Amino acid sequence: MPIVCENLGRRFEDVAAVESVSFRVEQGEFFALLGPNGAGKTTTVHMLTTMLKPSHGEASIAGFDVRRQAHEVRSVIGMVFQEPALDDRLTARENLQIHAALYGIPGRRVKERIEQALEWGQLANEARRMVRTFSGGMKRRLELARALMHDPQFLFLDEPTIGLDPQGRRHLWESIAALRGRGLTVFMTTHYLPEAEACDRVGIIDAGKLVALGTPAELKTSTTGSTESTLEDVFIELTGHQLRDEEATPRDRLLNFARQGGEHTR
Amino acid sequence: MIATGEPLPRVNRSMFAPRVIWVMWRRELVRYGRNRSQIFGGLSRTVLWLLILGFGLGASLRQIEGYSYAQYILPGVVTLNVLFASLQSAIALVWDRQVGLLREVQVSPAPMLSVALGKLLGGATIAVAQGSIPFLFIPIIGVPFSVTKLLLAWAVMFSMGVFLTAFGVVLASRMRTFEGFGSISNGVIQPLYFLSGSIFPIRGIIGGVGFLDIPEELRNELARLGVYAIGGGWVVQLPVWIRVLVFANPVSYQLDLLRFVLLDFRQLPMVVDLLVITILPVIAALVAAVAMAKRS
Repeated sequence: MPIVCENLGRRFEDVAAVESVSFRVEQGEFFALLGPNGAGKTTTVHMLTTMLKPSHGEASIAGFDVRRQAHEVRSVIGMVFQEPALDDRLTARENLQIHAALYGIPGRRVKERIEQALEWGQLANEARRMVRTFSGGMKRRLELARALMHDPQFLFLDEPTIGLDPQGRRHLWESIAALRGRGLTVFMTTHYLPEAEACDRVGIIDAGKLVALGTPAELKTSTTGSTESTLEDVFIELTGHQLRDEEATPRDRLLNFARQGGEHTR
Repeated sequence: MIATGEPLPRVNRSMFAPRVIWVMWRRELVRYGRNRSQIFGGLSRTVLWLLILGFGLGASLRQIEGYSYAQYILPGVVTLNVLFASLQSAIALVWDRQVGLLREVQVSPAPMLSVALGKLLGGATIAVAQGSIPFLFIPIIGVPFSVTKLLLAWAVMFSMGVFLTAFGVVLASRMRTFEGFGSISNGVIQPLYFLSGSIFPIRGIIGGVGFLDIPEELRNELARLGVYAIGGGWVVQLPVWIRVLVFANPVSYQLDLLRFVLLDFRQLPMVVDLLVITILPVIAALVAAVAMAKRS
């Protein structure tokens, strides 16, 4: 069963973050949602993963309605957020233990699952280190391993390569490529276009509307008339040259505050 | 996906998941254990208020209803530590939601009621630990103490901790961003503390034995008004507007019960104290769970 969205939209007060998007992602597919800053990528992912309630339209994952069957949806998906969603005062292992409890992984299986996840993320030797001492790449690896710990059928990645160095990016792609062979459906957002070239299909979203949908090759021929072009050409062609300036979100402001020294309540 | 071995069973669906409560509770405690600055804060607060203010101001005030000033404010300083600990645990939620573990929790199938319960019980446990710091100074200020008193005090402090953490969680869930604990300390903790009868009595006699002798008739008159004069001194009557604020503050009743447990002295009706201590945490916990579970 695939990911289906039908006329899905979300308004924040008067502003439509996502006006209306409709698409389908088939089982086992690797799908990327592209778009400039503020286009509605994260809002779309948050609606699909039950983090945000849609204002209108329908969406379902594996046949479960994201609005009414949130619990079922949550049990079959794994999610990696744009900013780390780890407790950085706990160790890597402690974070995974919490995940195991949240997903109801039976007690006798927890240890084995945690060891496998640490192994997979190449963090076995750092298991007892506090996450706040980890680099961005290590955190990402830990989060990805964690998101897979409960055998999800769908993996959602929101801007997974932000802040990673080329080695980290390469490792991430290799890890994901290795998973695709096993029937996992991967849905990611990005504005880093070379990454999307390897996807089965891409959707391009701008100003809350889906402006293109197809395989990278299809989009190149239909938009620029040449298979020689890159997705970046397609992207600029469809979304224009205008710069996208966004206001800092509360999260950005909080992160900045943390970088400047933060607060003892953390 | 990355695992070998048989597939995992499906997650069952229930609002009450003891294991989730347990891990969330333990998480709070582990974080507390690793945060020395919080323990230091509790210790320095206690020294400032209980010893320096207690003995400093106590030199002028001599006695309140037969208790030395340091003895009188002991339950208040316990309450102050409980207030700080509870609100610090709760406000950490703002971080947690934007750049921490809470989003991981929200996207999981774990029931939010259990997550919230773990958080509140964790916050309350830390509050009891922080609130117990002033007990270390009991030998210096000289209050008769016993195991029974300690256990009863812990029970009151725990209830206070649940209520205040829940109150803080509701507050935190309305805050989108956060730039310093100062506003919480000055805007929430201190008003609740100052307006709870913690550092000055709502009514009573201050002064000292032999300071001013109260004639028998006046003593009886006062007793009819509910002011029991042990010894002698000035009769305290707060301005009406402060009294109204004190009566409106739920912490006043919790503190009053705590003072009754520790010093055998109360200023407010016992029935109200008991109702506040038993019912309020339950209501607040439910409101907090709803606030945490709300999808934006």
